[in-house]
Amino acid sequence: MRLLGAWVSGFGRSCAVAAVCLAVPGVWAAAVAWGIWWGATNPWSWSAPVLLVVAGTIGLARPVCQAARRLVARWSGTTIPGGYRRAVPVTRLSTGYWWNGFSYERTRRDALMDQRWRLRWRDPANLRDLRFVAVAPLTAGLVAALPPGGLAVAVLGSASAQTSVRVAGAVGALVLLAAAPWAWRLLEPVAVRFLRPSPAMALADRVEELTVQRADVTVAQAAEIRRIERDLHDGAQARLVALGLSLATAQRLMDRDPEAARALMREAQAGATASLAELRELIRGISPPVLSERGLLDAVRALALDSPLEVSVRAEGALELDAPIESALYFAVAELLTNAAKHARATHARITIRRDATALRVEVEDDGRGGAAVRSGGGLDGLRRRLAVFDGTMEVTSPPGGPTVAIMMVPCESW
Amino acid sequence: MRILVAEDLYLLRDGMVRLIEACGHEVVATAATGPETLDALRAFRPDVSVVDVRMPPNQQDEGLRAALAARQELPGLPILILSQHVEQLYARELLADGSGGVGYLLKESVFDADQFVDALERVAAGGTALDPAVIAKLLATGSPRRGLERVTDREYEVLALMAEGLSNQAIGRRLFLSESAVGKYTTSMFGKLGITDDEDTNRRVRAVLAYLNSTTSP
Repeated sequence: MRLLGAWVSGFGRSCAVAAVCLAVPGVWAAAVAWGIWWGATNPWSWSAPVLLVVAGTIGLARPVCQAARRLVARWSGTTIPGGYRRAVPVTRLSTGYWWNGFSYERTRRDALMDQRWRLRWRDPANLRDLRFVAVAPLTAGLVAALPPGGLAVAVLGSASAQTSVRVAGAVGALVLLAAAPWAWRLLEPVAVRFLRPSPAMALADRVEELTVQRADVTVAQAAEIRRIERDLHDGAQARLVALGLSLATAQRLMDRDPEAARALMREAQAGATASLAELRELIRGISPPVLSERGLLDAVRALALDSPLEVSVRAEGALELDAPIESALYFAVAELLTNAAKHARATHARITIRRDATALRVEVEDDGRGGAAVRSGGGLDGLRRRLAVFDGTMEVTSPPGGPTVAIMMVPCESW
Repeated sequence: MRILVAEDLYLLRDGMVRLIEACGHEVVATAATGPETLDALRAFRPDVSVVDVRMPPNQQDEGLRAALAARQELPGLPILILSQHVEQLYARELLADGSGGVGYLLKESVFDADQFVDALERVAAGGTALDPAVIAKLLATGSPRRGLERVTDREYEVLALMAEGLSNQAIGRRLFLSESAVGKYTTSMFGKLGITDDEDTNRRVRAVLAYLNSTTSP
C-alpha cells in the first residue's frame, strides 16, 4: 500500500515537474505548429509565431522559475533564494522629487511606474532565469517526462492491433512503472545549481544590507551625540557656571563677611565634586575607562565584580580586538547582565569568551526565570543591530522558567 | 615624608606638588610616564608615592602596572593610587599581595587637603586608604557575606570602614561608638575571620583581604 502511495505521488510529482519545465518548449512547439498551419513556405506567416516565441519565453521565465522554487521548497525543504530586486518605499524628498530606489521622478506616479519597470525588466536575475528555462527542459524536464510519456505510449500500444506497436506499448508501461517514483527528483539539484542568486546578485543584496545598516548606525550615532550634548549642557556645563558664580560671590564677600565666603567656597567644592561624579558617569557611558586601560577581558571582569549577581568569567584564546568591536561587546555584556539582574531575577551568571581561528564567541548565561525575547526596537534588538555592523550575530534562547543563554559571535580574521 | 608624584598632566602634577609641600612634606621626585615612574620608585624608594593609573606612553594602565611591578620587587612599598575612576578590579590587584601600604582614591579626594595628607600618612605607615566609592561597590557586590555568615551586622559595618583605612577612633566617631567598643568588635571579628594576633596594622589589612576574598571573585 505504501509502495503504491509512493508510486502514485511520484507519478504526480513527475507530471508537475514536466509541466513546469516543458512550459516554454510547449510554447515553442505551439508557435511552430501555428507557423506550419499558416503556410510553412511563406516567410511572412512566421512573423507572428516568432513574436509569440520571444514574448512567451521572456514572459514565462520568471513564473516558471518561481514555480520550480516552490516545488523544490515543498518537496525537499530546500529554500532557494530568489534574489530578485525588491521594491523600496517610494519617498518624497525635501526637494519635492520622488525617490524610488533607482531614480528621481517628478511625480509619485512616474516614480512608481519607473520602479515597477525596473524591478521587472532591468533585474539581473532575468538572465539567470532565462538560462534556467533553457537548461531545465533538457535535464529535469526530459527525465520527468518519462512517466507521463510512458503512460501515453502504453495507452496507445494497448489500443493498437499491430504487434510492434503493442511491444512498444509494453516497453512504455515498463518505463512508466520503473521511472515514476524517482523521475521528479532531478529537479532539486538542477534548481539548486541554476536558480540560486549569481555572485553579482549576492553582491547587490549585500550592498542593500549595508545601506540599511549604515542608516541604522548613523541614526544611532546622532542620537548618542545628542544625548551626550544634553548631558553636558544640563550637567557639567551648568555646574561650572554655578561654580564660577559661587567663587565670584565669595570673592566679593571675602572682606565683608568671611564666614559666608567660606560657606560659599565649601559649596563650590561640593559642586565641583558633584560635577566630577557626573562626568565620570557620562564617560563610563561613552567609553568605560577600564576598557581602554585593560581591554575587553578585564573590563568584563570589572563588570562581573560590579554586578549584583555572582558572575564567573572564563576566557580562552588571546583577545586582540579592534576598539569598536570591544566596545560593542562590552556594552552587550553589560546590558545582558543588567537584564539578568533586573528582569530575570537571576542570582548567578556565567560569561564565556572564546576566540578561535574564525570568530570570537561570547556567551552569557544566567539562572533567571527566562522569557526574554528579541522584540523590534527592544534592548536585545538594539544589541543585535550594534553587532550586525561587524557582521556579528546574537542568538538568545530563553524558555519560560529559564535559563537564558545569549550567544554573540563576531567573525575575526585569523592571524 | 619623602614623596614621589607620578602624574602625566602638568597642571595636576604641579598642583599636587604645591599641596604636598604646603602641608610640610618633601616631594623627592616627579614622573610623567609609566617607565619613569618605575625607575623613580626603584631609585628613590619614597616613603609614599602618589601614582596616576593612566599614563603615557600608551595611555593605558601604565601607572598601575609600574606600581604593581615596584611592589613586587620591594614588597610593601607604600603607594597611593589616584585615579579619575575607581574599579574594584584594580583595588583587588593592589591588595592581593597582602602586605599593606596601599591606597586607592579618586582624584577629587585632594579637595580636602587634611584628609588627603591623612591618607598619605596612613599608607606610608603600612595601612590602607580605599575610596568610599570602592567600598560601596564592594558592599553592593553579589552575596558579599558568603563565608562571613557569623559576622554580625555591626562587625560588618566596622569591617567596611576598616577597609576604607579608618582607625578604631575614627570608626567609633562614624558609628557613634566608643573606641573600646570598636576594639571589641574588631577583636571578635579577627577571631571569626581566623586572623591571629600579631602587629596591628597588618592584621587590619588581612581582615580587609579576608573580606575581599569572601566576595565574588571572577
